[in-house]
Amino acid sequence: MIEDDFYRTSSQYRLWSFTTASLQAQRATTNAVASDRVRAAIRRAQEARRSATSSATGTPVPEVDGSTPNPAKGDEKAIECLTPEEEQQTVSYYCEQIIQLGEAYKPPLPTIVRATAIQYLRRFYLTNSPMTYHPKQIMPCALFLATKTDNYYMSLRQFADGVPGDTTAEDIIAPEFLVMQSLRFTFDVRHPFRGLEGGIMELQALAAGQGPPAPHLAHTHTHTAESLQRALHALPPPPNAPSTSTSSSSSSSSVTDRIARAHHHTREILKSAAQITDVYFLFTPAQIWLAALRLADPPLAGYYLDTKLGGGGGPAQPSGEATPENILAVLRPKLLRTLADCAAMLQAYKPLASDPERMKTLRRIIGKKLYHCQNPEKVHLGGAAQKRIPAAALAAAATTTTTGGVDSGASESEMERLAKKRKLETAAEHSGSKDIFGGELVMQRTKER
Amino acid sequence: MPSARDAMANRGDDDEVCPVCKSSRYLNPDMQFLINPECYHKMCESCVDRIFSSGPANCPVAGCHKTLRKARFRKQTFEDINVEREVDIRRRVMQILNRREEEFDSKRAWDDFLEQREEIIANLVHGTDVAKTESDLQKYASENMRSIRANQALEAQEASSFKEQQTHEQELARLRREAAKQEYENERRELQASREDVLSRLAAGRPGDAAAIAREGKKVLLKKSSARRSEEDRIRQKQAALRNSDARKAGQGGLTADKADIAGDSGLIKGLKKIVTPEPEKPYDPFGGMVPNKRDYYTLRDFYPSSYLDPIRQDTRMQAGGYDLQEYYSRTLMEAFAGLGCFIDEEMAQRDGAGSLGGSRPDATQGAAQAAVSSTGTPEAS
Repeated sequence: MIEDDFYRTSSQYRLWSFTTASLQAQRATTNAVASDRVRAAIRRAQEARRSATSSATGTPVPEVDGSTPNPAKGDEKAIECLTPEEEQQTVSYYCEQIIQLGEAYKPPLPTIVRATAIQYLRRFYLTNSPMTYHPKQIMPCALFLATKTDNYYMSLRQFADGVPGDTTAEDIIAPEFLVMQSLRFTFDVRHPFRGLEGGIMELQALAAGQGPPAPHLAHTHTHTAESLQRALHALPPPPNAPSTSTSSSSSSSSVTDRIARAHHHTREILKSAAQITDVYFLFTPAQIWLAALRLADPPLAGYYLDTKLGGGGGPAQPSGEATPENILAVLRPKLLRTLADCAAMLQAYKPLASDPERMKTLRRIIGKKLYHCQNPEKVHLGGAAQKRIPAAALAAAATTTTTGGVDSGASESEMERLAKKRKLETAAEHSGSKDIFGGELVMQRTKER
Repeated sequence: MPSARDAMANRGDDDEVCPVCKSSRYLNPDMQFLINPECYHKMCESCVDRIFSSGPANCPVAGCHKTLRKARFRKQTFEDINVEREVDIRRRVMQILNRREEEFDSKRAWDDFLEQREEIIANLVHGTDVAKTESDLQKYASENMRSIRANQALEAQEASSFKEQQTHEQELARLRREAAKQEYENERRELQASREDVLSRLAAGRPGDAAAIAREGKKVLLKKSSARRSEEDRIRQKQAALRNSDARKAGQGGLTADKADIAGDSGLIKGLKKIVTPEPEKPYDPFGGMVPNKRDYYTLRDFYPSSYLDPIRQDTRMQAGGYDLQEYYSRTLMEAFAGLGCFIDEEMAQRDGAGSLGGSRPDATQGAAQAAVSSTGTPEAS
């Protein structure tokens, strides 16, 4: 299908799509790495405090790996890191915060900007832990970045005014490069919103008897504009929609109203559940909006899928060659299964605010636990960020002490990483080929830093 | 030629007598002998006129029954009649087997061809296997009519261009010679004029100035001659450059003589280059086989009823800027279905499986994590 190939070229497909397992593994890795770092950093900070007078802070602390066995087992207990689940909850909380923050502006930020910001935040915390970078710092930055990438211009001052607390403009853009880097500089987020508009548009056309059948079904004669219209009008009324406020008189109202209602519900789902859950990582936008439509109005969604993929009556011939009918017949059950998965995930979502119990535990996590296991070397983002951008290195002198600490912590794992990367590269390239001077350079570069 | 004629003049008696009419040069000093390449029997001009004026007739020499025509009679070029005959045969064979070196695959094939040609010539000259060789030759000639003719035309062209070039060069040389002569003449005249000038000035001036005038005159002379010399040098250089460029042009002309259309491999000659006719170019397809605007999930329509979009159609403020609802339709519908059939679960698992050669995928994600946590490096795309 040509539309699928179109999606396969997107960075969302190439870089930001995962299986359930790989997503979990990714989070676990991030959490493990970050926990090791946090423990090491806190220990270093304590040691530095202990020997504040004599030893210099710049000397690298001798350690083999993230978890050294010997120095002080008491500390190990004291530092209690977040689990991946707790991290995810924290991130989700701040995602909801983005929605509220966007609401606070006058006029409120468009949904698409907020949705993009949420996805940025979620993508950011795939490879970073809240323990390393506090979401409180990253969240406004992600939102500000989203206003830029989604072409919704706002001056930084204007934006900073809307952010609660005494956040300055500098605080907001301090982690900007860091965020962009973690996003791998892919700013394109494929949202299901516009797709929903397209689908609703086509449904309205079908209701008016102007809907053309899908290209692969046009020749079957069972699909004509009139027959489709008749089928649409004959649809059974939707069972009670998830939100019950408007469903009282659904049977009597016209099809157009029904579509409009489904549109509204679907949009609500996409705005909330689709953003906070992992569906963006696991499904494509087309699947997301169709799953949401299925939640809002199951018969309508089923009917719409039938117009696209043909009814379930067509027997699948697995042995036959790849005729369009066969492809559709193979596609259909698979797609239905995927949509069901996606819908289940969307339905399982409950907004945090509606659940005071969860809210309470979350407050405890963020308030206490996260406070205690925050990486002390990453608190001052300004220094770290400016170190990355040489042009903005004016304030480097002010942050030398912090960066010194960061260096000693980073260099060893960094060295290890680079060495590993190099090894892999050479192995992939050609085992026999020697690159002269290569290893030397990397070692030097790491030492310098 | 003159030497040949001299030799002929000094020949013995039997040469001087026409074998047909037995008249001798002694009686008829203007007598000329003619031969016919059919049988190479010699006879005098008057005999040819006498016997063949009224149409083809048999050779008058006893035992020779060839039918000869008057038109083919010609003067003998070589003293030895065998040489004459061989030259004729050679010319004829060469005309038929006129392949050129560039038509052959390799030097070896070309050499083989040359040898084969010599062999055919030798066969015809010495009379071995004449019938077979002759038939081969005829067959080849009829089969390769076109290429033979093309090569002949090429040869003629080359010959004519060569001749042209030669006359051109001669002309140039003549012009140069004339110019040099002119130059010399001018120089002489000027010398004379200046001398006269000095003399007249000496005659007119006072006796005390004599030495000064003479010195001045000499100086003027020197200056003039040096100026002339430099001028000459310049002209000569120019001419040399011109000549070089001419030669180069001529060379190129020879090279770019259009290649004749060659018929397919003949049975007689081996090692000819295969003639590759380039495939006719297909019409250019800018989409590379894709059908533009082909969609698999939906058919785009010109109009979709929508209470929200309909006002835009009438709104001149929207339309004035060039806003086209079609664009909106196609984009929303494309996004509605882009990736509907992408099953990320499967495809990512497949990709991870394929990409795990050396564990690149986990490494990449870990690398990204670490790069983001630590303070260096951009996280590389997997």
